[in-house]
Amino acid sequence: MYNSYLQRGLGFALPLLAAFLISAIVLILIGENPIKIYSMLVSESFGSSRRTAATLSASTPLLFTAVATAICFRSGAFNVGVEGAFLIGGLGGVFCGFILPVQLGILIIPIAIIFAGLLGGIWLYFPGYLLAKYEVDEVVSTLMLNFIAIAITGYLINGPLLSPISGNNVTPLVHDIAKLPRLLPPSTLHAGFILGLICVFMYSLWCNRTPSGLESALIGLNQRFSNAVGISVQKTLILVMVLSGIIGGIGGASHGLGQLYRFSDGFSPGYGFTGMAVALLARNSPVGIIAGSILFGALASAGTTIQLFSDIPLDLINIIQGTVMIFAVIELTRISFSRKLKVSI
Amino acid sequence: MKTHEIALGAKNIYKSYGSVNANEGIDLTIDRGSIHALVGENGAGKSTLMRIFQGIEQPDFGTILIDGKPKKITNPKQALKMGIGMVHQEFMMAPDLTLLENLILGDEPIIKSWGIFPKINWNLAEKEGNELASKIGVTIDWRRKANDAPVHILQFVEIIRLLRKGCRIIILDEPTAVLAPTQVEELFNLLRKLSHSGATIIFISHKINEVIAIADHVSVMRRGKISFSNNINNTSIEEIAFHIVGDNQKKLTISKNSKNSLGNTLLNIDNLCSKTIKKSQQLRDISLKLKAGQIIGIAGVSGNGQIELLECIVGLRKISKGKIYLQEKNITNISVFNKRKLGISFVSSDRANEGLCLNSSIENNAIAGSHRNSPIFNGYILNRKIIQQIALERLNNLSIKYGNIHENASSLSGGNQQKLVFAREISNKPSILIIAQPTRGVDLNGIKAIHNLIIEFASQGGAVLMTSEEIEELQLLSDKIFIISNGRFVGSVEGQNSDIKEIGKMMIMDANKNV
Repeated sequence: MYNSYLQRGLGFALPLLAAFLISAIVLILIGENPIKIYSMLVSESFGSSRRTAATLSASTPLLFTAVATAICFRSGAFNVGVEGAFLIGGLGGVFCGFILPVQLGILIIPIAIIFAGLLGGIWLYFPGYLLAKYEVDEVVSTLMLNFIAIAITGYLINGPLLSPISGNNVTPLVHDIAKLPRLLPPSTLHAGFILGLICVFMYSLWCNRTPSGLESALIGLNQRFSNAVGISVQKTLILVMVLSGIIGGIGGASHGLGQLYRFSDGFSPGYGFTGMAVALLARNSPVGIIAGSILFGALASAGTTIQLFSDIPLDLINIIQGTVMIFAVIELTRISFSRKLKVSI
Repeated sequence: MKTHEIALGAKNIYKSYGSVNANEGIDLTIDRGSIHALVGENGAGKSTLMRIFQGIEQPDFGTILIDGKPKKITNPKQALKMGIGMVHQEFMMAPDLTLLENLILGDEPIIKSWGIFPKINWNLAEKEGNELASKIGVTIDWRRKANDAPVHILQFVEIIRLLRKGCRIIILDEPTAVLAPTQVEELFNLLRKLSHSGATIIFISHKINEVIAIADHVSVMRRGKISFSNNINNTSIEEIAFHIVGDNQKKLTISKNSKNSLGNTLLNIDNLCSKTIKKSQQLRDISLKLKAGQIIGIAGVSGNGQIELLECIVGLRKISKGKIYLQEKNITNISVFNKRKLGISFVSSDRANEGLCLNSSIENNAIAGSHRNSPIFNGYILNRKIIQQIALERLNNLSIKYGNIHENASSLSGGNQQKLVFAREISNKPSILIIAQPTRGVDLNGIKAIHNLIIEFASQGGAVLMTSEEIEELQLLSDKIFIISNGRFVGSVEGQNSDIKEIGKMMIMDANKNV
C-alpha cells in the first residue's frame, strides 16, 4: 500500500506515454504529423473555457463508472458489470424523471437518484452473492449481466416505456424540473459533474476512514489473512459489489437527468468499460480517478472535433484508449507477479 | 548400491533468503542405484536443497557433484539433461489429456509425413510408454484421461515421463502422502525395481516407518544441516525420530520458574472431529481441557492434524462432530470474528500468508482485527491518528524494529514479523492464545522474547494451546503435552520432565499400524 508519490505518478504516466508513442507511430504511418495532431488534441480539449467545459462534461459519467469499478478492483473482485448497472440505473432514473408527478418539484431528482442507486445495487448484488457463496466467477457473471441489461432496457424502451410521441427506442423526455441544472451554459456540463466529484470524495473517505474500506483493501491483498483476523470475506465481497452497483446506477441517473434527458438506445457508449480503463490507470486512487476521467473525457470530446477538422478518424482515440488499458494492465500484472514470487520463497 | 559410485552429491552448500539461512553447509552423497531417504521437519531446508539440485535456485556457496564431478546446474532444463528429475506432490498433469498425451507432452515423437506440418507418431509413443512401464513392472491404460486415473497411476506416469526424458536420478517429494496403504506397497515395488535397474532415488518423506521399509540409506535434515546420515540397517526408527525432533545443539535458555496455579477450565473440547478437505488430515475424537494459566503443547510429526485442530478451534475449519465450549458457552460453530471477540487469539503457522498481510502496511497489520473497536472506530469513522498511536504502542511494547510504519510488513525481518503477529494477537487482552509454530524462522533473541511473552501471558491467567515442530520448545513451555498422530491424540506427558525419546516414539506410534 505504501507507495511514494513518484512511484504512483510513474504508474499513471508510463502507460499514457506508451499509448501516445504507439499512436504517434500509427499517425506517422498514415502520413500525419503526430505533434500537430497532439497539440490539436490539447487545444480542442482545454483551449477555451467552452472546450474545457465540454471535456468535463464528457468526463462526468466516467467519474461514476471509474469509482464503481475501483471499489471492486481494490477488493480483488474483477467486476466488469458496471456498464450494466449504469444502464439499469439510467433507465430507472429517467423513469422517475418522467413518471413522477411534476408537483413533487425538485424532489424528483433525489428520488430518481436514490431509485437508480437502489436498482444498480440490487443488480450487482446477485453476482456478488454468487461469487461469495458459490465462487461463481465474477468476470463471467457480471459480463453476462451487461448483455441482460442491454436486452432488458432495450425491451422496455421499445415497449412499455416507449415515448408515445417519438419514433423508436426512446423514452419520453423527463420533466424540466427533473433536469439537473447546467453549470456553464451553453455547454452540456451539468450538476452531475459535482455529484461525481462527491462520489470520488466519498470513495476516498470510504477507503481510508471506514472499517469496511480497510477490510475490502485487506481482502484484496490477502484473503487468508483477512479470514484469520476475523474479517468476513463473503460479506465484504457482497458489500463491494453492491456499492459498485449503487455508484454505477447513480452514474446512470446523472447521465440521464443531466445529459440526455431521456433513455435511448446507445445510452452508454461503453462508459462502464472506459471507467474500467480509468480505474486501472489510476490504480484505484481517488486523485488518479479524477485525472484519468478528465483525460479520457478530453480524448472523447476532442476526438469528435478533430474528426471534423482533419482526416484523423475517431478510431485514433480508440487506439489510444486501448493501448492505455493494455499498458495499465501490464503494470498491474507485473505487480501481482512480483508478489507471487515473494510468497513462493 | 554395491558399487558405491556417487550419483549425486552436495559439498558445503549454503543458501540463504534474506536473513533466513535455509541451507547451512550441506554435505551429502547419494550412491548410484540406491534409494536415499531424506527426512526432516518443514523448514529444515529439504525443499531448498532439492531446488538447488533441480537448478531452480543457485547455492550461495558450495558445489554440486554429479557422477562424482563438480557441475553447475543453472536451470531446470539443464538438470533434466543431466538426468535429474523430480516428482512433485502436486502432479504436473493436464487433466483433460490422456495419459499418453501427458507422457509425451513437450517432447513428442514426430513423423514428418505432412510436409512442413509434422505429425505425432502415436504408435511409437505408446510403444515407448509400454516399454518403460514394463521395465518398472506396471501396466498402464494409456488412453485414460488424467482426471479419471487414480492417483497412484498418475504418479507412475510422472515417473515414466522422467525415465523417458532420460532421468537417472529421481526425486520424489512425499510420494506416499496421497496414497492408500496398498498403493504405497505398489509404489515401493516399483521403486525397488527402478533402483535395481540402476536408477537413483531420493525419497522425501515425513513417515519414518516408510523410510525404514524402502530406503537403503537415510539422511536427516535439521535447521539447514544434515544432522544424521546412516545406512538403514544400522539405525532404527527411534534414532531417526530422535534426530528429527531434537539434536540438543541449541539449548533454549529460558525456563519456567514456577508453576502457575491453574484456574477454571476456559476451553473445553469435547470429542471434536473434522473431515478431510483436499489433503488436510482428518481429526478424530479430540478431547482436551485448557485451564486459565495453563500452557498445553501438541506434539506430532508435521501433517498429523495439529494445525487442523488449531484451525478448528479458532473457526477457520469446519467441525463435523463434537463441541467446543468457552467456559460454559458453546462456541462450536460461531465465526472467527465472534470467537476473537470472546477472547480467542490465533498465531498462524503460515506467517507469510495468514499471520500477516505482507503487502500491506505495518500499521494495518498491527491493528487489523481491532479496526472495529473503539477508540479506533468511533461508530462513524476510523481515527487515523489513534490507529497510528495504537499501532506504535503495540510495536513498541514488544520492541519490534521497523523502518517506517507505513511501509509494507514484508520490510520487517522474520523475527520482527513474528513479533508483530504476537503484538497484534495479544493486544485485545484475549483469554486464550492459540499458537501454531511460535518461533519458526525466528532468531535466538526473538525466540527468547516470544517465549517470555507466552510465559507472561499464562502467568497472568491466560491459557495457551500451542503446537511446535521444536519438541524442546514444547517441553520448555508446556505444562502438559499431548501427542497427536493421524489426527488422534495417542498419549500425553507432563511438560517439564518429559523424555524426548518417549515423545518421539509416541509421535510415530499410530503411523506404525497403518503400513
